Amino acid sequence: MASLASFSTISSSSAARLSSLRNSSSNSFVLTKSSPNSIKLLSTPPRQYKRLVLKAKANSVIDAPTTSYINDVSDSPKVLLEVKDLTAKIADSGEQILKGVNLVIYEGEIHAIMGKNGSGKSTFSKVLVGHPDYEVTGGTVLFKGENLLDMEPEERSLAGLFMSFQSPVEIPGVSNSDFLNMAYNARRKKLGFPELGPLEFYDYISRRLKIVNMDTNFLNRNVNEGFSGGEKKRNEILQLAVLGADLAILDEIDSGLDVDALQDVGEAVNELLTPQKSVLMVTHYQRLLDIIKPKFVHIMEDGKIVKTGDISIAVQLEKEGYKGISS
Amino acid sequence: MAAAASSSTFPPPCHHLPQLHQNHTKSLSSLFKPKSRTTKFSVRPLSISPKASLSDPFVLQIAETLEDSNSSSSLKQSPILQKLRESSSESILSLSWPTRKDEPFRFTDTSFIKNSQISSISADPESNLVDFESDGGDDTQTPNIVIVDGQIVNSLSKLDELPDNVYVGSILGIDSDEIREEVMKFVSNFEDKDLFWSLNGIGAPDVTIVYVPSDCVVEKPLHFRFYSHETSEIGSSNLPMSNPRVLVLVEKGGEVGIVEEYLGGAEDKCYWVNSVMEVLIGEGGKVSHTYVQQQAPSAAHFKWTSVRQESSSTYKLVEVSSGGKLSRHNLQIQQVGPDTITELSTFHICVRDQTQDLHSKLILDHPRGVAEQRHKCIAAHPRSQVVFDGNIKVNRLAQQTDAAQLSRTLLLEDSATVNMMPNLQIIANDVSCSHGATVCDVDDDQLFYLLTRGIDLATARKSLIFAFGTEVMSRLPCDSLQKKVERHIQRLLDPTPS
Ligand SMILES: Nc1ncnc2c1ncn2[C@@H]1O[C@H](COP(=O)(O)OP(=O)(O)O)[C@@H](O)[C@H]1O
Ligand SMILES: [Mg+2]
Repeated sequence: MASLASFSTISSSSAARLSSLRNSSSNSFVLTKSSPNSIKLLSTPPRQYKRLVLKAKANSVIDAPTTSYINDVSDSPKVLLEVKDLTAKIADSGEQILKGVNLVIYEGEIHAIMGKNGSGKSTFSKVLVGHPDYEVTGGTVLFKGENLLDMEPEERSLAGLFMSFQSPVEIPGVSNSDFLNMAYNARRKKLGFPELGPLEFYDYISRRLKIVNMDTNFLNRNVNEGFSGGEKKRNEILQLAVLGADLAILDEIDSGLDVDALQDVGEAVNELLTPQKSVLMVTHYQRLLDIIKPKFVHIMEDGKIVKTGDISIAVQLEKEGYKGISS
Repeated sequence: MAAAASSSTFPPPCHHLPQLHQNHTKSLSSLFKPKSRTTKFSVRPLSISPKASLSDPFVLQIAETLEDSNSSSSLKQSPILQKLRESSSESILSLSWPTRKDEPFRFTDTSFIKNSQISSISADPESNLVDFESDGGDDTQTPNIVIVDGQIVNSLSKLDELPDNVYVGSILGIDSDEIREEVMKFVSNFEDKDLFWSLNGIGAPDVTIVYVPSDCVVEKPLHFRFYSHETSEIGSSNLPMSNPRVLVLVEKGGEVGIVEEYLGGAEDKCYWVNSVMEVLIGEGGKVSHTYVQQQAPSAAHFKWTSVRQESSSTYKLVEVSSGGKLSRHNLQIQQVGPDTITELSTFHICVRDQTQDLHSKLILDHPRGVAEQRHKCIAAHPRSQVVFDGNIKVNRLAQQTDAAQLSRTLLLEDSATVNMMPNLQIIANDVSCSHGATVCDVDDDQLFYLLTRGIDLATARKSLIFAFGTEVMSRLPCDSLQKKVERHIQRLLDPTPS
């Protein structure tokens, strides 16, 4: 709840951006941030970025490092993700799916993408995390100022990008606990911390399980194998809880969930949010947006974001369907 | 299956006959001529001399070597063993060393054995034990049988927890007439399977017997550990051969778990283990069989498992085979009554220049059997060779059989050789059968999923490769064994852990 409160501060400062976006006819908008601070950060590679934060933590004995960081953010929100004219095709068939996507996400912002089935929402999400099925044919993507498209999928993850899959793959033979342990250790290694053995990790993970309301026997099962739709989604959010992320892309985490499960998953996401963390959710339904409240709602159609607004778009969508939206 | 004695079918239809060499009759006759020092080991005079002239000199040489060593040992007195050796010697006469032209060895190159000088094992296993003691240890909970070069080492075995009337031990130590009679029945009923089966019959210094009487449930699995003590150095032309043989007899309603573990010991040793296990399961009996093969990288390992299932019996096999330069498992299951359950789960992995070969044959002749075979195989080295010839035959009378056969190979190196011959033959008309065979690389979607969680490519791949085998390894009966085997496989996949 505390985290949501601080989001609202940011949202008011982004109102100007929103209106400028609406006025933009080409739907590609220019960054209007002028603070030298944020420009400097844009050109800072993520590794150094991370190190700066860590250093701050290490040096500040009196001040809680996060507090000073928040102050910094509220002074001048930083661009986290900047997607410009992104086009992509299916590598095998050559079919163009993304036809010029533009999107800017600042730290601490929650965005939602809605759109008909087949409009390219999942493709967009997967391109962002580097799925080999797709080939980027044009445009740029900066994440924390760094060229995301140059990075391997695992580097993107370690840089702070997380994606919850619409249909997470089952991995027979790999236990959930081993998998999470491996992923968590990759994080720790990257940060220069010693890796955790299975027992130490079990301790850590047991506490995280509560966030998503999951039983410990979940850990002994193989990754997603035989999981119900809802269990798979919870497992995705558990991974988010374990690994953390600066930008979490949540592709239809609400599909296949009953009302209670939706509430669980939505609240789990909220619980994980801090004022710097951002979310990009893909959804068809307003009910998720009632729990995780987005500041921006984008409508995707045929590989492009055709409309951007606030929650009222989703409300309108629920009433009138996509016909009522498309301009 | 018609267990034709070799003398009644000649020439065997699919054997490749060697050229006729007159001078070999000489070595043959010396083979079967009672030797002066083998006074008690008298062999029936053979009345099949025409066939003899067709015998394979290399095969006869091996047979002779094996026979020599046994005739000099003290074990020859057993009439049962004598009978086994006689029948085996007889069948050898019509068998030649397999070549790539013989169907069962079409994809399996045995030339490295053929190019070696085969020697037999002479040492008394009790005399040289120090090396083996450290190895076992971790599951002192279960009954242990240590077999070195084919012979039980009593001082290392631990069999005090067995129920009354269960017999586990040397064929020579049977003190019950009833058991001796039962055992004799099966040894007399010698089936002619192949050359290696017969060579084992000649060379086996002993037969280890597991006898489980009616309705007796042996709670803890019997853990067999097989070691090779007599070995040669890599590069030497000498190849010491040992022939362990185990007979498992489970009477009506009896239940037992058998773990066979073949351990290589030193990496740089050369030897040939030619092992046979016969399993006979009475009505309603249950045998859970585990077979773990971790021979040294230069070893040859031949293994026969022959199972006979009476009505309503259950046979479950879990195999994990990773060792040896050349490893061949012949697995035959014969159903002699209805309502049997047969479950075969096997996992082979090649991480070196090596061959892993499974030839399995399951014949169903009676109604309502359940047969499930899954074979998984990893070819992880450019020169690895994997062979799978799996035959399930559902004959005319085997109505309402439920059979499934699945084989999957993970091919990680394009130049590795994979020969998969899964074969589900259905003659009965009222059956439910499914089968599938795939050869593939690591799954891209699974790999990507791990990468998106920050796991590096090498680690992600390794864990998926390992996961491929866990479907079989997770069926290993006890936790400690499963962990041990998993650690071994992990070491093979990652010889230099960071
Ligand atoms: N890997 C792929 N192979 C073939 N077609 C694909 C692939 N990924 C996406 N598509 C196609 O691209 C279009 C967009 O799909 P997707 O991004 O999943 O849409 P959404 O998530 O908005 O429902 C669809 O027509 C889909 O069939
Ligand atoms: Mg989708």
